[in-house]
Amino acid sequence: MFEPALIALDMLFEPVRLLALFAGMAAGMVFGMLPGLGGVAAVSILLPFIYLADPFSGLALLLGAISVVYTADTITSVLIGAPGSPASAPTAIEGHALAKQGQAARALGVGFLASMVGGLMGALILLFAIPVAGPIVLALATPELFMLAVVGLYYAASMITKDWAKGLCAACFGLLLGVTGPAPAAADFRFTFEQAYLMDGFSLTIVALGLFGIAEIIGMLASGGGISSEETILTKWGSGFKDFWKHKWLILRTSIIGIFGGFVPAVGASASTWVAYAHARRSAKDKSKFGHGDIRGVAAAEGANNATIISDLVPTLLFSVPGGPAAAIFLGALFTFGYYPGPRMVNENPELMFLIVWSVALASVVGAAVCFAITPYIARLTKIRFALIAAPLLVVMIIGALQATSTIGDIFMLITLGVVGWMMKQADWPRAPALVGYVLAEPMEQYFWLSNQLHGWSWLYRPGVLIITSFIVIPFVIQIVRTMRNKKTEITAEIEEESLTPTLPPVLHPERPRVEFLLAVGMIVTFAYAFYEMQRFAADSQLLPAMAIIPGFVLAVIVLVGRMRRERGLVEKSDNEPYFLLALIVYGFLVWSIGFDIATVILLAWMLFQCARMKIMTGLIYGVLIYAGTHGLLLLMKLEPPTGKILSLIHL
Amino acid sequence: MTILYKTMTAMAVAGAVAISGTAVLAADFYDGKTIKIVVPFSKGGATFVSAKFLEPYFEKHLPGNPDIDVVDRPGGGSILGANWFAENAKPNGLTILFTTSSTANPYVLGKKEVKYDLAKMRIAYSHPFGAVAYTSPSTGVTSAKDILKSKTPLIYGGIAAAASDLPGLLSFEVLKVPVKAVLGFKGRGPVRLSFERGETNLDYQFTPVYLTQVKQLIASGKAIPLWSGGSVAADGRLTDRDSVNSDVPSVYEVYKTLYGKEPSGPAWEAFQAIASVTYAFGLTAYMPEGTPQSVIDIFNKAVADINADPEFQKASLGVTGGAKLFPGSVAEPALKKALQPSEELKTYLRDLLSKKYNVKF
Repeated sequence: MFEPALIALDMLFEPVRLLALFAGMAAGMVFGMLPGLGGVAAVSILLPFIYLADPFSGLALLLGAISVVYTADTITSVLIGAPGSPASAPTAIEGHALAKQGQAARALGVGFLASMVGGLMGALILLFAIPVAGPIVLALATPELFMLAVVGLYYAASMITKDWAKGLCAACFGLLLGVTGPAPAAADFRFTFEQAYLMDGFSLTIVALGLFGIAEIIGMLASGGGISSEETILTKWGSGFKDFWKHKWLILRTSIIGIFGGFVPAVGASASTWVAYAHARRSAKDKSKFGHGDIRGVAAAEGANNATIISDLVPTLLFSVPGGPAAAIFLGALFTFGYYPGPRMVNENPELMFLIVWSVALASVVGAAVCFAITPYIARLTKIRFALIAAPLLVVMIIGALQATSTIGDIFMLITLGVVGWMMKQADWPRAPALVGYVLAEPMEQYFWLSNQLHGWSWLYRPGVLIITSFIVIPFVIQIVRTMRNKKTEITAEIEEESLTPTLPPVLHPERPRVEFLLAVGMIVTFAYAFYEMQRFAADSQLLPAMAIIPGFVLAVIVLVGRMRRERGLVEKSDNEPYFLLALIVYGFLVWSIGFDIATVILLAWMLFQCARMKIMTGLIYGVLIYAGTHGLLLLMKLEPPTGKILSLIHL
Repeated sequence: MTILYKTMTAMAVAGAVAISGTAVLAADFYDGKTIKIVVPFSKGGATFVSAKFLEPYFEKHLPGNPDIDVVDRPGGGSILGANWFAENAKPNGLTILFTTSSTANPYVLGKKEVKYDLAKMRIAYSHPFGAVAYTSPSTGVTSAKDILKSKTPLIYGGIAAAASDLPGLLSFEVLKVPVKAVLGFKGRGPVRLSFERGETNLDYQFTPVYLTQVKQLIASGKAIPLWSGGSVAADGRLTDRDSVNSDVPSVYEVYKTLYGKEPSGPAWEAFQAIASVTYAFGLTAYMPEGTPQSVIDIFNKAVADINADPEFQKASLGVTGGAKLFPGSVAEPALKKALQPSEELKTYLRDLLSKKYNVKF
């Protein structure tokens, strides 16, 4: 076993292959940092280059990119608050809150190190688990996969603390987004309104960008300042290392959670990150900081998500069934080189297996080191006026959205969800439950339907199902017992405890009560209409939509009533954010009518001269640079942005 | 000697020019040009991988050695990419739609979202994408002929009735095999895993996966091969064995063994039409309506050259069991017929799908 390992290490240290690995890492870093691009984009861009040298170099190129994406996207999540994927959402919530308190260095340091540990643990698992992981993957049959999705959703719900009605309603809205498109039970296309665009449902990138990214960009455009009111100091990594060491066992445990997540196709990444996050919360004595910037949240999420993306390769290499979209492209590359992953590959091509393991391990360590090195430079950007950074970021997000289908639908959908995300942010609705609901709706519904079809209701008694159910039930029971015990002791210890109880942050009222009102009404209307639309679906296709729509409607009404009951006289925050939102909507119609190119020039001119108030010359140079970069990126990603309807009429 | 040789060559060239005026044009038709191949599925999918696999051979054998650029345009179960192609591609031989029956079936069934007219398009080349059915030993079935004597109910896992599962489901109709079809899986990979777990016991896999994954299961006694979809014989009927999987009988043969007569009736007609689009001409390169015949001829020639290329033969042996490309001249007539089935056949398909599989039209 060790001989091929050493041979593989020797093979990887060929200059060409090392170069390929590092080139892949560079691409993975850049794309990991750009919001909405991430792993799939990095791997697809690298695809044409894998044939330049030998197969091993080509695969090293891809592995370099896959291994560092979740390390690099920590930077964006922490500094901007826009997660690259649902698996980074906890980092965006806790890390960004820490950054706002001037502790960006601490959050980033822990994030990088936790990512590194996750990557190394993933590599270790690849090394030792592949020979034995087969039975585990096969033991997870359809009912177990369903229960794992439920566990993921349950743990994500643990995020919801402050305002339960809003959080649960957001999750219902996410589920509603998730059921759009084909139903697994019957050949029903739900909520598609006969638009081919909606037939595959919403794109994950667009939902993540819309709910989080756009709202942050609007905020950046409108505010003149940086992220942190205090200056971001990024030279003092000491506290990050200290925190990392303090939470090393937590990180190790969460990487193991992440590894198991990788064994489960489709459900894996998001479910395992939330389970890890909830685990960090549960094991913490003082929970008050969670949601307002707790370093343990960052540590847990980053340890888990990096381990998941690596252990995604386990089902890929064992069964030729990719665990995620980036793994799918990697599998395609293996095919074109004539490798057919399967149980036999471990014996037939041991050196290939080890090459993969070494590449991942090396990239994880070097990737974390590089992140440490470059972050101070990136953090300097935060001192520049944010309106200046917002322009290229917004264009990158639009390109990220165009990855889905390259049609006008992508832009409309990004802006529509952007409006919803902005309203949610203003009205103090948590957005993470919506994202998780969206991601897990499809596998939950699909596996529930398949479980019932394949096993009847007997699947409920399967040992695997019972074990996984205990993940929910046992902590729940412990919680109840603890609360009851506390109540007993409370009476005696009331006087002493009073001084010890941490003062909870006062319930904050949203800054825009009017938006809060509009959003609640909008949700009620949406759920009501969805209920009407649902009547046309086959009975089997109605189950999950009903589970989202009926509670969603009730919850939205509760939110609205709560809003009406509250004391009046709250003043609406007055700034120009709504106008920026309106400008974005205008941009969408411009793309539709006169095409991406001209519309983007107008958008850039507006952002640089109107919002950032740049001088003519510098603004012109900066704008041309961004525009050239945009087209370079489009060319590289082989994307053709939509041309305008009016222009194409003139052409005819 | 040399003079004579040169004169003869010159005469031959002149003759060639005289016979077809396009020959000279063809020699450098693609010189310095780029052909864009649009794949309406995502990059990890089998269609994209196949397009990338064929890319170097077309670059080598098309006159003028063009650059080939494979681009993915996923969405709407391939309908978005095909709609885009219909709206934007010009008939100049520089844009190709490379796709599967997932694009053809909604067209044949007349789905509202379809904005392309496949039957009017030209066909540059086609690649077979056969599939083999296999079952689990737990059913007690040891070969295709005792498929009706299964000990346990047969359970087939699939994705969606009106998509790539259609020919498989039709083959069960033809053979009158009682099968419970559980549809709603995310892909054929998860279906295979479900088979390995014992949740389903009857499955179809396309040739590349069958050769690389299922054969291992068969060797270790975990699967029993049954039949293949078959391939189109000289008379245009789907009666021949699949040349790549010639060790298993075709659906046609299995029917004859089971019932002792020729298959006939709407189920068989529907199976023939849908299976030839899905299996025999599984991956097809379409060009826009109005593409000149000279361009099609260039591709016909390139296909013949690729099939004769020992490098291609060696590579395809590893991936597809040595399947050869069909030129447009062979694929086009058969596909045009399959893409425009009779009203009677359409009615049969719609009835079957809506009554048995809850598909809405």
